[in-house]
Order: sequence, then structure tokens, then C-alpha cells
Amino acid sequence: MKIDRRSFLGLGLGAAAGVAASPVTWKLTDDISIWTQNWPWTPVPVDGEVTFEDTICTLCPGSCGISVKKVDGRAIKIEGKKGYPINDGGVCLHGISGLQYLYDPSRVRFPMVKKGDNWQQLSWDEAIALFAGKIKELRDKGAADSLACVVGTDKGTVAGLYRRFLTAVGSQNFYTVDNMEKSWQILISKMHGIKASAAFDLANSDYILSFGSGFIDGWGSPVNNFLANSSRKERQAKLVQVDYRLSNTAVGADVWLPAKPGTESYLALGICSAMISSNLYNAEFAKSAGKNFEAFANFVKEKYAPELVSRTTGIDAAKIKEVAADFAKAKSPLAIAGRGKGESAGSVMEFAAVHALNCLTGNINRAGGFWTVEEQELLAWPSIEMDDAAIKSYAKPPVGAVALATSQESGSAGIFSAVVAAASGGAQASTQSILSSSVSKLFEVINSSEKSPVELLMVYNANPCFTLHNAKAVKDAINKIPFVVSFSPYMDDTAQLADLILPSHTSLEMVQDVCSGGCVAQNIIALSKPVAGPIFDTKNPGDAIISIAKALEGGISSSFPWETFDECIEGVNGDNFATLSEEGYIASELAPPANPLIVDFSLFSNFKGATPLDGDEKSYGLTLVPVETIRLASATLASSPFAIKTVEDTVLLQKDTLVEMNPETAKQVGVSQGDYAIITTPVGEAKVKVNLFDGIMPGVIAMPEGLGHSNGAKGEVITKDGSAMPSIGGATSIITVTGGVSKKVAPLENRYIGGKGVNVNELIGSVTDPVSGLDAAWGIRARISRA
Amino acid sequence: MSELKKKTENGSVDGAEDATSNEQKAGGDSGVGMGVLFFIAAFAVCFLSGWLLFPSLLYSKKEQPFNFNHALHVEQTSGCESCHYFREDGSFAGVPKNSSCMECHESQLGDTKDEEIFMTEYVEKGIEVPWYIYSKQPDCVFFSHSAHVVGAKMDCVTCHGHIGESESLKPYQENRITGYSRDIWGESIWGIKKNPWDRMKMDDCAQCHQEETGSKGACFQCHK
Amino acid sequence: MTQDNHGKHYKFGMVIDLDKCTGCGSCMVACMSENNVPFKEDETNKKDSINWMKVFKLTNGKPFPNTDVCYMPRPCMQCGGKGEHGHSPCISVCPATATDYGYDTGIVSQIYTRCFGCRYCMGACPYHARYFNWWDPKWPDGMESYLSPNVSPRMRGVVEKCSFCYHRYQIARDKAYYEERRDTIEEGEYQTACTQACPAGAITFGDLNNPEHEVYKLVKPDPHQCGKPRNPKAFRLLERLQTNPKVYYISEREWVRKAGDNYRDGEWEKKA
Repeated sequence: MKIDRRSFLGLGLGAAAGVAASPVTWKLTDDISIWTQNWPWTPVPVDGEVTFEDTICTLCPGSCGISVKKVDGRAIKIEGKKGYPINDGGVCLHGISGLQYLYDPSRVRFPMVKKGDNWQQLSWDEAIALFAGKIKELRDKGAADSLACVVGTDKGTVAGLYRRFLTAVGSQNFYTVDNMEKSWQILISKMHGIKASAAFDLANSDYILSFGSGFIDGWGSPVNNFLANSSRKERQAKLVQVDYRLSNTAVGADVWLPAKPGTESYLALGICSAMISSNLYNAEFAKSAGKNFEAFANFVKEKYAPELVSRTTGIDAAKIKEVAADFAKAKSPLAIAGRGKGESAGSVMEFAAVHALNCLTGNINRAGGFWTVEEQELLAWPSIEMDDAAIKSYAKPPVGAVALATSQESGSAGIFSAVVAAASGGAQASTQSILSSSVSKLFEVINSSEKSPVELLMVYNANPCFTLHNAKAVKDAINKIPFVVSFSPYMDDTAQLADLILPSHTSLEMVQDVCSGGCVAQNIIALSKPVAGPIFDTKNPGDAIISIAKALEGGISSSFPWETFDECIEGVNGDNFATLSEEGYIASELAPPANPLIVDFSLFSNFKGATPLDGDEKSYGLTLVPVETIRLASATLASSPFAIKTVEDTVLLQKDTLVEMNPETAKQVGVSQGDYAIITTPVGEAKVKVNLFDGIMPGVIAMPEGLGHSNGAKGEVITKDGSAMPSIGGATSIITVTGGVSKKVAPLENRYIGGKGVNVNELIGSVTDPVSGLDAAWGIRARISRA
Repeated sequence: MSELKKKTENGSVDGAEDATSNEQKAGGDSGVGMGVLFFIAAFAVCFLSGWLLFPSLLYSKKEQPFNFNHALHVEQTSGCESCHYFREDGSFAGVPKNSSCMECHESQLGDTKDEEIFMTEYVEKGIEVPWYIYSKQPDCVFFSHSAHVVGAKMDCVTCHGHIGESESLKPYQENRITGYSRDIWGESIWGIKKNPWDRMKMDDCAQCHQEETGSKGACFQCHK
Repeated sequence: MTQDNHGKHYKFGMVIDLDKCTGCGSCMVACMSENNVPFKEDETNKKDSINWMKVFKLTNGKPFPNTDVCYMPRPCMQCGGKGEHGHSPCISVCPATATDYGYDTGIVSQIYTRCFGCRYCMGACPYHARYFNWWDPKWPDGMESYLSPNVSPRMRGVVEKCSFCYHRYQIARDKAYYEERRDTIEEGEYQTACTQACPAGAITFGDLNNPEHEVYKLVKPDPHQCGKPRNPKAFRLLERLQTNPKVYYISEREWVRKAGDNYRDGEWEKKA
């Protein structure tokens, strides 16, 4: 038998025919086409029962109610809570991105201590013992006052525990981050002589006059303001925006008054002057409540007549008079201050000039007006047991103390000092005559001292290395402090420089009580509940502090009589706690103060205008201002991947920040759209790109705030047992370990925001406000040239 | 040969040459017979393996975690809906979770090995049973049970067959290429179906929709 | 067993009040979060950045201080085509039938498993509402945990776009069937994620065929002119192309309304 060509042909044809007559080809064709539609690596989310769990968003002071949508207990989406008094179903982009904060790649997964350039994993017991040992060391050498603590806000039980810890150890160095709410409190104490917070009933006002406040750019309680703005459009209430740049608020406003930067307070006084001259103010109120009103009236009439103000501000005198008339005519006019999102303190005298307008109309403590909300002591703390060592070191003034000009009348000064003493740390009233202390001053003092007066720094819910002005200098100061402990859940700019990280839960993983902030005209306390996780070996910072206190001796330990934070929060909230855990929140009506309000205009007797900018006009011909927009988170938290995706390519392009300038300015300095340029200020310089925008005043350069986060930690993370880093997905891990030697892959980096753009706070220096002692910088002089 | 040469010179094609050679050899040689033989043999091998071997290679067989007696449960309860129920939002719960089972099986009720496995391996350890689902559709499909069962008043058997009468679970067969359950394409490798529940591909949905509603429907009716 | 699969004839549409819109971006993020939209390390190349809902920034082009800005959220317009026959630009060109018109809802579908990535539809769409997946979506370790089962995640090589959160309609219809209402859906039962999230309340969503619905009241679509708005302050984008979009915009500002289409010299004035 010979196998020839023919046989082969037969074989081939037979095989082909056989296969064709079997289902193989057709089935495989179909299956392969299906396979190409269902790549095995494309995730398939598991379906299940849908439930909703309500909690409070704690990403910003706005404190919106949110509903977390879950599928079989797995959180998949965050939505606004319908009917919640702050946001009624609305929610901002950062709130929606909450779950991205939970799974943030830069999350610190367990306590870590810095070992040389690397990070070594610790158990919680070891970490707490290490920290407690450091405190003990300080106290043994009588230097308890060199313990300092920076927290984001002093509201709520968690912050209360930090303050309590400082006091029990014996240090007054407790600092909160400056913001406009603090400046308003100080102003209220100075003008009205009471200890209260400011609130603006924007939803019921029919004429809002905003002096650079980003009313719909994220100012105050953002979602609440969005709702107020939409209701304003329906009610045909007016919004007048004073702004050197066409911000989103200016876009939404009926009238845009582009006053020159830094002249806002003059414009406010000019409007006051026009109102007084034309007798358009509430004379009855000025007479009954006003103190030193005559002097003020004469002062503004003489020095701030619209014609004079017109020259400094660049706004027509006629326009000023028109605004004054409209403002006076409105039923419930409201003037607001606090630049951008109100995340910096601002100048108290500027606030005063604006608030004078509210005082002239008398639209205070009533619907649609300005409210003074007296602080209620919501939390009932047991007394602190301070031992001798603590009492002795507590007597020492805080490092960041600011000596203020003492030209004010003794009466109001007395009240003032009580307010700031309370705000700046002492649960027990300080006997020292300290007027103020500020976190910016703290780092300035550390930098200017040969040896850091702070030996141990605790940082919780704050990112001073990013948010404070002159951020580079703050980093230097942090590096100078012998031991820095961060409680951040993320490897943020400050945690990167810490020596020990005791990672907190993220806001979705922990219980905490929150008060409605952001100057919202509602009294709400709410309970934020854990709705996910915890997904890592983290703790509620309240629990961490209680454990640390328990590891210390005598007075400190016994000042913390709770076993857990859950027990503590229930205890200090007293009767409210049951309602809070059932209803989620308690809302109460705003009530006017018991005593009639006084308005003391004597503050204006030494009015010198707004705080001047850093830098001389000759070498720095332009003004650099930060732009706070809703799309970029610019406070403690960095933006989420979702949020950064919404940012326009005229703000961030690849890794470059774009600065905004008028085409006219660009022509003068010789740059054009898309050019690289070097921007120089008295504190630093940066390489940026140029974006031309007609809506910004010539001579002003605007730079977005919230970019320029440093990218991840340096060094490697060495796990306890040499194992790989724990990961949620289980698939890839951040650290691969081979033969006991850990290999760095990507140490806790968030590449979605880290290393992108320039931090504008590195270009702006801090300026101490002579009235409040807080950092009043709102910009800086600058020059720019083509790179 | 001269004829052939002439043809070649005239630009004849190879086929013509073959034809001529075939003709020549057909008488005395077994060349063609061998070709046919090879043809038949190859055909037979490929045909048979296509029908018999290919399906067993294509599908992997997986045993369920333990056996489940549908017939027994249907008898004890009031029908399919007692375990395969609708949630209040109109979504269909599908295969029950342990918590549903434990409404009856708080403790072991019978004495079967399977129930014991369920109790010790899953309930006590707090693990959901990883059932293989015969009728599982790919992720891009949205199927509304309520539209069919409540809206169109269809019964379960129409699509799922007589699984409620079964006493044991057949092995789950998964297509190695697509990852689909064999029940989607159909038990018959050729995809021929006798009963409506034999196949659950898109064409099957469309066919029924065409018959019942006069339209195959738009893509989004069943896709997500 | 016979039943009418199409049930009621809906025409879902959206009205966006551009004067209320503050450009905050909540709609964009609500959409990304609802629809499993992926993200990359660098999203500044806006040509390959997938945003089903994208907020555009328009300026009136005037110098300081007469500059004005308008934010314009742009979802998929769900074009019905001329005469509402479903011949929208993208559907007409799709060789794979991966996108079709739902005559019962007026929504243009996009089936990722059917799409083979020719991108004709992207070229055809005059609103740039369609996006191509140049890469496989990748989530940071663990973040897949938040993906929603209601919308299937996409793979590289396919086109995706806004679906008016169609899955929410599917879910609402599921409930309606269960409650034996067939597919009769109340206005509030089916709302898109962006509508729900918008903190300014600038987006309204509903059935343009139903005079009771807010969307109808706001724009008063003219049935004789393919739904052209009768409200003089309302407009649709590129009306002259007769794509017949189901997304309407409202603005008191004339320059904004004028920016909604390309006008020849003097044409706008004549129209006004």
C-alpha cells in the first residue's frame, strides 16, 4: 500500500468534511466570539439585595446627610439623603466619591514607625507603648508643655478627647486649623461682646452681598448653599458678588463687582458711607443697639465716601450708591465675607467692614439675616484630674502664642481673651494674659528657634504640610520636631514626614458626632455611623487616645475613665445619644440671644484697611491669589480620582498646574496660552503653564488650590512577619517580599492626585492678623516670566 | 501524453491534469480507492470526535457542593416561591441565602449526609453555599423575573424545566472557553431544542418575544 | 401568556436649567459612580477621558469685565432622529447593531458585548457624547468592591455612553410589574443619577410625552415639530441638524441660547 498525494488529499478533505458535519466549527466560532466579549479580567460585580444605610458625610464642615447604597452589605454608592435639613438629597462630588476614600491606595494599613528611611509595621500595643513612653519621657524631664497637637476642628467628641489628653498631660499647645468661622467668632466677640458663632440665613435672604465669598464655589456648607442659590433664583432674590475674578459665584450672581484685590473692605465701607449719607440705614437699630455709632458714621462719611472709594476699588461711585440703595431697600439683606471656600482665616477688619453693613440694616437674628449662634455646651465631660506635673507645665504659654495690639477697650478685650483662651486649648481657663495662638505661628516659632520648642507633635484630621501658607517652611518645621505622630488614615503630606503613624478609620468606618458647620443657619448635631469596614488594622482615633491615656500613669489615665470610644461618646452625649443613634440627628431652631444685641463700632477707630500683601510692588508687579473651587478638595483631604477627573485641562494638564491670567497681563509679561512660565513670589517659585482667561482682572494671577500633593512615602514598608502587605482584593499587593527581604513596589502612593501640579500654599507666605493673631494672608505679590 | 502536453501548452489548469491522471489510473491502480478510504476514515474520526469527544473536552464538569433534593423541598413547602422569592422592590432573590434556609433549618431536620454538610460546613462556619447556577446569564444581561412571572403570568417550568421534581442535582457543566453554563447553549451540542427550557440564548428570548409580543424588543430591554 | 411588551409609550427626556447650574461637577461624579465609569492615573487628556456626563464651560468671548461664563452639562442627547423614527446619527452608522433605539422609551442603547470598536458612531455623534475604551479599565487594589451590579463594566475596545441610567428604569419597571402595575412608572420612580445628585436642582428628568411631568411643563415640546421647545427660553443643541435630541436647555441669557447652534450672520436676530 502506497500513501500518495491522493491519499493525503482524501485525508484532508475527509477531515474537513467530518469537522464541518460536526458542531465543532460552529460551536467554536460562537464560543470564541462570546469569549471576546467576556474577558476573564473584566470584573463582574455580584448582585444581591439592595439596602440603604444613612449616615453623615464628614469630609467637610458641611456635614450633609448621605445614604449609602449597599448590595448584599457591600457599599456601592453614596447618595444624598432626601429630607435631611442641610442638603435634602443633594450631594457634592466629594461626598459621592466617599467610597474612593475608603479604598484609597495610599491608606496606611497598620501602625508603622519610621526606621531610617523605611517604615516598620508595629502592633497596636507596641505602637501605643512606644507613644506612651515618649510622653512619659517628656513628663519625667518636666517638659510636658513641649507636647503639641494639631487637629482640624475642635468640634465633636474625638477632638474633645485630643484636647483633654493635652490638658491632662499638661500642655496648652492644642491648635485647630484656621478658617473663616474662627475669624467670625472673634469678630462677634469684638463687635457684639458675646461668645457666639456666625450663621447666615442665605436661604431666606432676598439680597446677598458677597465680598469674595465663593457662595457657590464650596464656601461654608456647600450643598446647603447650592440649594439656597437655586431657591434664590426662584424667589428672584439678588446676589451681588465682589470678586476680582469671574468665579462660579460671580457667574451665578446678578451683579458682578470686580473690585481690585485687597480693596473689598473699602468697598464695604463705601457702601456703608452711601447708606449713612442718604439715610438709608436702620437708624432705630443703630440708635438702640449701637455703641460709638456716631464716630463710625462720621469716619466712613469722611474717609470712605463712594467717590473716594471708587478710586481705590475701581468700582463706579454711581454703582456703589446703587448697590447701597438696593441693599438698604431689600427686606432681608445679608452681607457675607470669608474668601473662596472660607478655608483660611482672613482679615478680621475686612470681616468687620462687611459686617458693618449687616449692622446698618439691623437684619440680625431674624429670618433671612445674620445670626449669632451662642455656643451650647453639648458634651458633658467629667472633670480632668491634673497632677502636679501637669499643672506646673500647663502654666506655660503655648508656643504659637501671638501678642496682639492692645488698643481695644478693656471690656471687649476681656471677653475676647476668654474666647480665644477657650478656643486655643485650655479646658480650664488660662490665667495667662495670652490673647491668641495660631497654628501658623507655632510652625514659625519652631523654624526660628535653634532647637524646636515642641518635642512631640500629634496631628489628627489636619494636613499642615499642605494646607498652611508657606508649606515648605512648615515641612522644615515638622522635620525639626524630634517626634511626630500622625493619626491620618492616609499617607498624606504630613504623615510622610511623621515618625509614627497610628492610622485612623476613614469617616465611613467610624462613629463620631458632628455639629453642622460652615456658618449654616441651622442647629444640628448628628451622628456619623460606620457603614463599611474597617478594612484594615486601623482604629477610631478616639479609641487610640483612650488606649494611650490608659498606658500612662495617674492623672492622665484616670481622666479617661472609659474602656472604649463607644462608651465615651455615649457618656458625654448624655440624653442626646439615644436620639442620635435612633434618628441620626437632632435639629433645633435657632434662637436669638436672651439679651438684646449690642453693636460696638469702636473697633473701627483704628481701621487700617485689609492686611497688606507680602512683597514689594516694585519687584513683584502682579498679585497672586489662590482659587478655591468646588471640584478640587483643598483642605485636609486630597481630591479623589473621580474629583480629579472633573478638573478641566485649563487647570491641570498632565503634571502641570495652569495659572489663570488676563490676555492683557500675558501680553505685558510676554507669555501666551500654554507657555511654560516661572512664577516667583517672596517665599518661593514654581514652574507653571499659562491659561488665558478674560474673566480675571488684569494684574492678577490666579492659581488653583488643592494640587501639588507630594507623592507617597519615601522608603519601604517592612511588614512584621516579612509577609506581603495586606490588600483588600487579595490579588496584587503593594509590597512583594522575597526571602525575608522586602521589595518596594509602590509604597502607599496615590498616583491619581499625588505629584500633580504645584501647591499654591508653597508660594504664599503667612501674614499675622493684628486683631485675631490668625493667618490673614489671602494672596501675595508675584512676578512671572516665560520659562 | 501528447494530448496532455497539448493541453498544458494551451494553458490547461492543474485540475485538468488531475482529472486526466485519475482517468488513467482508475482502471488498474487502487489510488482512488485509497483516497476514498482515507477520506472516509478521516471523515469518520473527525465527525465522531466532533460529536462525541469535543463536547466532553469543551465542557468541564463540576459537582455541586452537596446534593439538594428539590422534590422533597417542594413537597415540604408551598412551591418554588417559598425559597425563590421576590423581594419587596420587585427584584428576584434567586438562589436562597443561608439565612432563608435557616428559617426552617435552624437545626438539622433530617438525617441526610447532605444536610449535615450544609449545617457543619456552611451554617456553622457562616459561609454562603457556593452553588453553581445552571441558568446563570452573563453580566451584560438584565432579566426581569417580575415581568415574566407577575406581568406575563408565566410559570417557572417554561424556562427552568422540571427542576422542581428532581431529587438530585446534576453536575454543573461549564464551557471552558466562554465560562457559560451548558444549560444556556443547551444540552444538545448542536443546540437543538425540544423544550423551551432546553436553551437560554438571546435568540431564544427573542423568538419567544416575537411570538408573544410581536417584537423582539430593543437591546436595552434585556441588556445592561 | 400573551402580553404587550412595549406597554406604554414613553419618551424620556431631560431639561437642564443652565442658570441654576453652578458647574460644581456633582452630576459628572454621580454618573461615574452610578455607571462604573473607570478612571486612569492621568485624565487630563480630555479626548480619551470617559465622561458620560460632561460639563462644558462656555464663555461669551467678551473682555474683562464683561466676560460671562456658562456651564453646560452634556449627557447623551438620546436623539430620536428626524420625525422621531429612531434614525439617530449613531444608530444609522453602527455596523454591529450594538446601538439601537428603544421606541418604548426613546433611549438610545449601547451594548458593550456587541460593540466591536469601529467607532463610526463616535464620528457620527455631533455632541461628542460617545467615548472609546482605549484601555482595559483598572481599579486600584480593592476598589472593585464598590462596583455596581446594575451596569456591566466595560472592556477595552468598545464604545460607551450615557444611557439615561437605563438600569434605573429596568429596576423601576421590575417593581411596577411586581406590584401589578405593568410598566406604568411614576415620575419619581425613574430618575437618573445626575438628576438625583444635582445639588442645585438644575436637572429635571421625566416623560416628555406626559403633560403632567415637570420636563413637559418646562419646555412644552411641540409634537408637530419633533418636540421643538415652545418655551422661548428653552433650546436644544444643534437644532438645525434635526437630530431631535431629548435633552433641553433653559437659559435667560441670550448669548447662551445662541451658543446652542451655529447661526449665519443675521439669522439669530431674525429668529429672535
